[in-house]
Amino acid sequence: MLRKVYALLSLVLIASFVLAACGTPAATEAPAAATEVAATEVAATEAPAAELTGTLNVWSFTNEIRTMAIAFQGKHPGVTVNYTMIPMTNGEYQTKVKAAAGTADSPDVVALEAAFVKEWVESDLLADLNELLPLTEELKTYPAVVEVGTNDGVARAFSYQATPGAFFYRRSIAKECLGTDDLAEVQAMVADLDKFVETAAKIKACGTGDYYTVGTGAELFTPFLANRSQPWIVDDTLVIDPKIVEYVHFAKMMRDEGYESGATQWSEGWFAGMNDTLKDANGTPKKVFSYFLPTWGLPYVLSPNSTPADSTTGTGGDWAMVNGPMSYQWGGTWVGAMEGSPNSELAKEFVKFVALDEENLTNWATGVYTNEYLKAIDPSTPDDQQQAAGDFVSSQVVVEKITSSFDNSTLADFLGGENSYGAFAAAAPSVNGALLTGSDDAIQRALNDPLAAYLSGTSTEAEMWQAWLDAVANEFPDLIIPEPPVK
Amino acid sequence: MNLTRLKRNSTPYFFIAPFVIGFLVFGLYPVLNTIGLSFTNATLMSKNSEFIGLDNFRRLFADDVFMRAVRNTWTLWILNFIPQIGIAMLLAVLFTNARLKIRGVGIWRAIFYLPNLLTPAAVAALFASLFAFYGPVNQLMVRAGFLPEAVRFMESTTVARELVVFIQWWTWFGQTMIILMAGMTSIPIPLYEAAMVDGATAWQMFTRVTLPLLKPILIFIFVTSLVGGMQMFDIPFLLTDGRGSPQSSIQTNNILMYMKFNSSKGHIGAASSVGVLIFIMTTVCALGIFYFLGDRDADDTKKTTRKSLFKKNTERPNS
Repeated sequence: MLRKVYALLSLVLIASFVLAACGTPAATEAPAAATEVAATEVAATEAPAAELTGTLNVWSFTNEIRTMAIAFQGKHPGVTVNYTMIPMTNGEYQTKVKAAAGTADSPDVVALEAAFVKEWVESDLLADLNELLPLTEELKTYPAVVEVGTNDGVARAFSYQATPGAFFYRRSIAKECLGTDDLAEVQAMVADLDKFVETAAKIKACGTGDYYTVGTGAELFTPFLANRSQPWIVDDTLVIDPKIVEYVHFAKMMRDEGYESGATQWSEGWFAGMNDTLKDANGTPKKVFSYFLPTWGLPYVLSPNSTPADSTTGTGGDWAMVNGPMSYQWGGTWVGAMEGSPNSELAKEFVKFVALDEENLTNWATGVYTNEYLKAIDPSTPDDQQQAAGDFVSSQVVVEKITSSFDNSTLADFLGGENSYGAFAAAAPSVNGALLTGSDDAIQRALNDPLAAYLSGTSTEAEMWQAWLDAVANEFPDLIIPEPPVK
Repeated sequence: MNLTRLKRNSTPYFFIAPFVIGFLVFGLYPVLNTIGLSFTNATLMSKNSEFIGLDNFRRLFADDVFMRAVRNTWTLWILNFIPQIGIAMLLAVLFTNARLKIRGVGIWRAIFYLPNLLTPAAVAALFASLFAFYGPVNQLMVRAGFLPEAVRFMESTTVARELVVFIQWWTWFGQTMIILMAGMTSIPIPLYEAAMVDGATAWQMFTRVTLPLLKPILIFIFVTSLVGGMQMFDIPFLLTDGRGSPQSSIQTNNILMYMKFNSSKGHIGAASSVGVLIFIMTTVCALGIFYFLGDRDADDTKKTTRKSLFKKNTERPNS
């Protein structure tokens, strides 16, 4: 008798396991359907301003969006935002988000960098945000920003930034070596690559080898990339655009001629050039004339690194900004809502607030989000969390309204009185998002190591191309790999 | 009646259940799942995947990248294992030597073990910035006159490999030494005393007494180090750009697997195929070690040593 009971019990147990396994897909679909119903209900009652409540998980690769997350909580006290920052070093962030997508640990909102945003926009892992498109017309969001976040007519990510690139140079070195620090005259001296090289030779001669034109030739990679005629992948085939070959030769020339310091981009040596503390191994001070940086490079990279750690006298005020030899765009952060998130409505609201809210974008760009402001909303805000004025936003409406406010700002002081915002505003409409593809990040990162070996002379050009193509082939199983340009 | 029997019979199963369940869920299932994935084109960015047979494996052998990773892994492991076991053995012999009676063995042992407590991430970051182009090693060497000008250390395949080998050796020889010392102190002292009475030299005592009785410990170190070495990842990954630069010279099996896993769409199918091959390679090598060094005569030696120990122990009072 008892044995029968056990047999029955175990049968029930097994059945429950089997049923549980069958039941999983249905179970995950159910909440999504429920939120859809909820969404239509909200739309039906036409009360989008109704108080938002809930908890939102936001993942990003910097602490920038955290500022907006706190501001969002200030607007909607019923909402709690759990902010997770994972650095992008060696692709760590990208990997974590990919691994979490579709699982129970998936965030509700993700920040996506230009190098890999397309990968996500092309996938079905981000929610359809087409309903936010009318707002982009209202705010006159730069078309390239919308284009990057859209695939096959479905908008899946929006950005609060537009990121035209520029060329920043030291006024003192320009005066000493080029005879002028005037914006138009210096721009004429670097107007194209030939003139840029002539100027580089002048600067090297003038500084008797202690002046470098750029920190590293790698800074020109993005400008060259932006001037290709084709994206990396066309019809499942890797495209080696002539501009890429040209860039490799250009970078080699910069290294061999001693026009660059040889520091790796984003390394200590590269930053040291920004505040005049770069010293070679003998202790000889070296100076770097210019940096290729986009809109965000000014408030986030150049300005914070212009003061050396051990003194108060930095290079602030000695910089100027012009277009440089090539127009380009570089980076930018997009935000998207994860498909199937149980908080999809809240996630959409957050994306809307971050990228398509006139008030937020204005506050963001004009330095309203100070540490005190954020602390008033959330007392646990870290002491260094704030948003200084100057980030270039994606809405033309906001840009036009606030440009004049930068005439006498601290950033203008940093640039010797130049209004960077105005200059970026002039360059932004020409930015082109069509060249971005989902595979850019991996293909471009694969080039770094072979190129470094070629630049330092440890491998030949043919070896470099082959090493790069082998690396790409290993990361893209289905990609057709062309013959190397040099064999 | 039935119930009590069932209770009695099932009790042991309850005790082993936690391990068995843990092993099935976290041990066996991932292995089987990896093997299954290796025959598909699954990616993290799409929900669907197809069965593609042996395509992933065929692609691995289509160019030299995979074999280069295997060669790198073996080179890095062998170059680190030989000095590691050598130095550890030397120190263990010195510290356990009954004649030398070195003082403060505990302190030395702790000092040599300390590097093992450091996080690999911190060690790798430390060495990467020490050997950077504008880093302190260059500054020191050039100013002291050892180098004419700054060297791009991290772009030299030799330096990168040497650094990985050195870090691996430096962080692991203390651990190996402690295991060896534990093994040596478990060898009964009367054996050495007997050898001394018979007029054996230190070298003879080492080769005829210590080494044979240490064999099981040596096999243990050999196999665990091999398994660890085949999975070498953190130091070479963090020392340069996470791709085994320069020129893929420190790109190990696991770095290659990780690169496939985290590239563009997250090709977990292709990454699994690398994992499966590492698994097969490690298993074959470990079984080989057991077969040639261990199992076959381990039983015999155990028996004989036990017998001889017993014999000696009982005989000694008379001799």
